[in-house]
Amino acid sequence: MRFTKTIIPLTLCVLLVSFAAPAQKQKGRAAHPQKPAAVVTPINTDELKGLLSQQRQKPLLVNFWATYCDPCRDEFPDLVKIDQDYRSQSLEFVTVSLDDMTDIKTEVPKFLDSMKATMPAYLLNASDPEPAINTVDRAWRGDLPATYLYNEKGEVVYKHIGRVNVAELREAIDKVVKKGTGQ
Amino acid sequence: MKTKTLSILLASLFVIAGAISVAGARAAGEVPAPPAIGATIEDFTLPDVDNKDHSLKSLLGKNGAVLIFIAVQCPVSNAYNERMEQLAQDYKAKGINVIGINSNVAEDAAAVKAHAAEHKFTFAILKDSGNKIADKLGAAVTPEAYFLDANGKLLYHGRIDNARNAAQIETSDLRNALDAALADKPVEKTEAKAFGCTIKRA
Repeated sequence: MRFTKTIIPLTLCVLLVSFAAPAQKQKGRAAHPQKPAAVVTPINTDELKGLLSQQRQKPLLVNFWATYCDPCRDEFPDLVKIDQDYRSQSLEFVTVSLDDMTDIKTEVPKFLDSMKATMPAYLLNASDPEPAINTVDRAWRGDLPATYLYNEKGEVVYKHIGRVNVAELREAIDKVVKKGTGQ
Repeated sequence: MKTKTLSILLASLFVIAGAISVAGARAAGEVPAPPAIGATIEDFTLPDVDNKDHSLKSLLGKNGAVLIFIAVQCPVSNAYNERMEQLAQDYKAKGINVIGINSNVAEDAAAVKAHAAEHKFTFAILKDSGNKIADKLGAAVTPEAYFLDANGKLLYHGRIDNARNAAQIETSDLRNALDAALADKPVEKTEAKAFGCTIKRA
C-alpha cells in the first residue's frame, strides 16, 4: 500500500517531466523564431538623395529591387557575387528595396539571408515613391530592377533598367574601380 | 540584272539585321516608349477571359475608359484589387469604364478568370497574349493605368495613386484625372510614374 502510494506519484512526476521537457523545448523554439540576420535600414527620399550625390572615396553601385520583382530575384545571385569580387577593390555596393515598409523585418531580410547578401541594405521609406524615383533619374520610370553605378564624384557612369547584363556591369565597374585605386 | 539581285540581297540583309537588332532590344528587357499624352490610341481587339473578343471602341464609355494593366500574382497589383473595383463602380455611372488587361505570359486566361472571380471584379478583363497591347502602350508594370477619353485620346498615364498601402494615400492621381475630365477641366497631372511588378513579357 505504502509502495503504491509512493510509486504512483513518482511515476506521475516522471511522466510529467518527460512530457514537459520537450514542450518547454518547443516553447523555447517558438519564443526565438529564426530571426533574419540581415539588417535593412529605412531610407527616405532626402537621405537617398544625400547617399547618391555625395562625394565619396569609392565608386558606388546601387541596385533598386523588390521581393515581388522576379527579375530582381533572378539577378540577385549575380549581384552578391559582384559584391564579393569587388568589395576588396574599393567598390561600395548598396541595395535599395522598394518593398512596403511592413516587409522591412520580414520578407526583405529573409530574402537577403537566403542570398547570403551582406551589402548594406536599405528600404525606401516614402509613402510616395515618385520623388525618390525622380531623385535617382528623371528618365527612370520606376520599373525594377534598376542598377546605377556612380563614380567618386557622384556622377552616374553606368545604368541599366531590367535584369543586368553581368559582363557589361563588370566591365563598367572595372573602369571606375581602376580609376578609384588611383592609377 | 546583277544590280537588281545585289540590291535585293542588300535589302534582305538590312531586314534581317533590323530583325536581329529588334530581337536584341527585346531580349534586354526594354519596354517600348508609351504614347504621348494627347495621342489617340488606335483601336484594338482582345479576348476576355471567356475568349470573347472586344474592341477598345466597344468598351469605351460615353466619357472614356481606364485601361489598367493588372496581374494575378503581383502583390502590388493585388494591393489595388479593392481600389480598382471601387473605381469601376464609382465611375461606371459617370460614363467611364474600367478595363483590366493582363499581359503576363505566365498567367493564362483561366488563372485570370479565377482571380477575377475570387476578388469579385465587375469590370471586364482582357487577356493580352504576346503582350501586344502592353508593347503598344509601353506598359512596364502592374498596376499601370491609362485614361482615354471617349475618342480614345490619352489624357492620363501612370499610377492609380501614390501608395501601395491604402492607409497612406495622399494623391489619387487617376481619380483626379477622371474628375477633371468629367468637369470639363484640363487634367493637371497627366503623368505619374507607375510602380509595381514588371510585366512578364513573352
